[in-house]
Amino acid sequence: MKYFLSLCTTGVIMGVIYALMALGLTLIFSILRVINFAHGEFYMLGGYASYFILSTFTGLHPLLAVPLAGLIAALIGLAFEIAFLRPMHQGRIERPDEYAILITFGLSFFLMNLALAVFGPYPHRPPSFFQGAVRLGFVNVSADRLTASILSLALLTLLLLIINKTWIGIALQAVSQNKDAAAVVGINPLRMNTLAFGLGVGLAATAGALLAPSFLIVPDVGAVPSIRSYVIIVLGGMGSIQGSILGGLLIGLVESLGAGYFPDPSRALNYKTAFGLVIFALVLLFRPRGFFGRKEV
Amino acid sequence: MIEIKDLHVGYYKDLDILRGVSLKAEEAKITTVLGANGVGKSTLLKAIYGFLKPRAGQILLQGQNITGTPPHRLIELGVSYIPQHSSVFPHLSVENNLRLGAWTFRRDKARIRRKLEENYQRFPMLRDRRNDDAGLLSGGMQRMVEVGRTLMTDPKLILVDEPTAGLAKMLSAEVYRMLTDLRDKEGLTIILVDQEIRQALKIADYVYVLELGRNRVDGPTEEFTDLKKVLWD
Repeated sequence: MKYFLSLCTTGVIMGVIYALMALGLTLIFSILRVINFAHGEFYMLGGYASYFILSTFTGLHPLLAVPLAGLIAALIGLAFEIAFLRPMHQGRIERPDEYAILITFGLSFFLMNLALAVFGPYPHRPPSFFQGAVRLGFVNVSADRLTASILSLALLTLLLLIINKTWIGIALQAVSQNKDAAAVVGINPLRMNTLAFGLGVGLAATAGALLAPSFLIVPDVGAVPSIRSYVIIVLGGMGSIQGSILGGLLIGLVESLGAGYFPDPSRALNYKTAFGLVIFALVLLFRPRGFFGRKEV
Repeated sequence: MIEIKDLHVGYYKDLDILRGVSLKAEEAKITTVLGANGVGKSTLLKAIYGFLKPRAGQILLQGQNITGTPPHRLIELGVSYIPQHSSVFPHLSVENNLRLGAWTFRRDKARIRRKLEENYQRFPMLRDRRNDDAGLLSGGMQRMVEVGRTLMTDPKLILVDEPTAGLAKMLSAEVYRMLTDLRDKEGLTIILVDQEIRQALKIADYVYVLELGRNRVDGPTEEFTDLKKVLWD
């Protein structure tokens, strides 16, 4: 029982951070109707940005690098959206669906190779937020992961408040539910697209910066988190905010319990991601819309 | 109120749907635009509302040239638009749907409160269901939400595209009554595009008939009592 509970604790701690990254992806999808195939690379970018900031300004507390990393990624996202995705939404691209896939894949390769050129293939690790571990019930959690999880939870709460209570949040929901009607009431959909993309990739980078002290950063570090995010948003229902949070927690739990109870402990960690994919396959088989998936309007 | 002069507009280059349409809508009157499917009635409204950029021609609102002005600017000038397909936000509450009508003056809280209250007095049914998702409402009530949302901005001119498409007959009567009320009680100018020719003729003051992107005939409603004349003349 103790073992079970400690696995659950670890699962929830990771799940919250997964949810943060997936929320960014689902936000972009629900507003732009584009799958951002460079989402994992923004996660990677967040990690490198925080590493770069902390190795340049050595006096800075490592926690301060997190919002800065998110901000840098968000600005890159805004610029990318305006330059490459906006023409598509203005109807200036002939085959928008194929274009969206290719351009975000292109961005993904570009960012990965840029990181390789700038930082090299060797792993980097920014300094810890806090040293040591914290005892939570029966389980020791590294202070870094606990910090990352608490901050993710705070950020998720803040985002939910913004999306449900502020004008900008309600306008984002309006665009995701009926783009034409949003234009009728005078909301500029192009601006909402840019905002959603910036915010979405900013969240991925924030997740990356939060986890960077716990896991090493290499140029292709974003691959697994991005696959995980796709799984989460399909699980939760494409475009659903609650869905991505619930999906994140579920994948966190499944990975932790799956690895914890796998008969061969020497291989358990390698299969971690696979347990999430098993759930993914089951959802696709039995409830392809996901938990909160809505029918298209 | 609004005057359209020789408008040419289309969705693709070199393929105009409207090829020289002219129209005048008088203040506090319902002007209806009729014609077969595909003659460009909806296109006309989209062009007035700034969704499509005219290739040639002029749109004058009280003498001011508004050709190609984007929707959010037109709202400020007192123009609003109720599209043909349901335009409620299905997973937002009725109240949030109405509030979004006030997007262009979202900082003016007192005005929003006042306009919301006016809407609840106009449509008491909406007050009772203000916390429900708009998508759960009946088709007629969704139209009510759309009209209410439109009225949040104090429009002077409303462009209405086939308001009863897909509605049951009884609800249709309700919607047409809503439109005449807007004209008679609130003095609004309405341009109504419709397939329900009989109904449109019952409430309209002036009629335009389009044919393949051009004006065919127009005149006061009295001259169109003979339906055959409208349809095949």
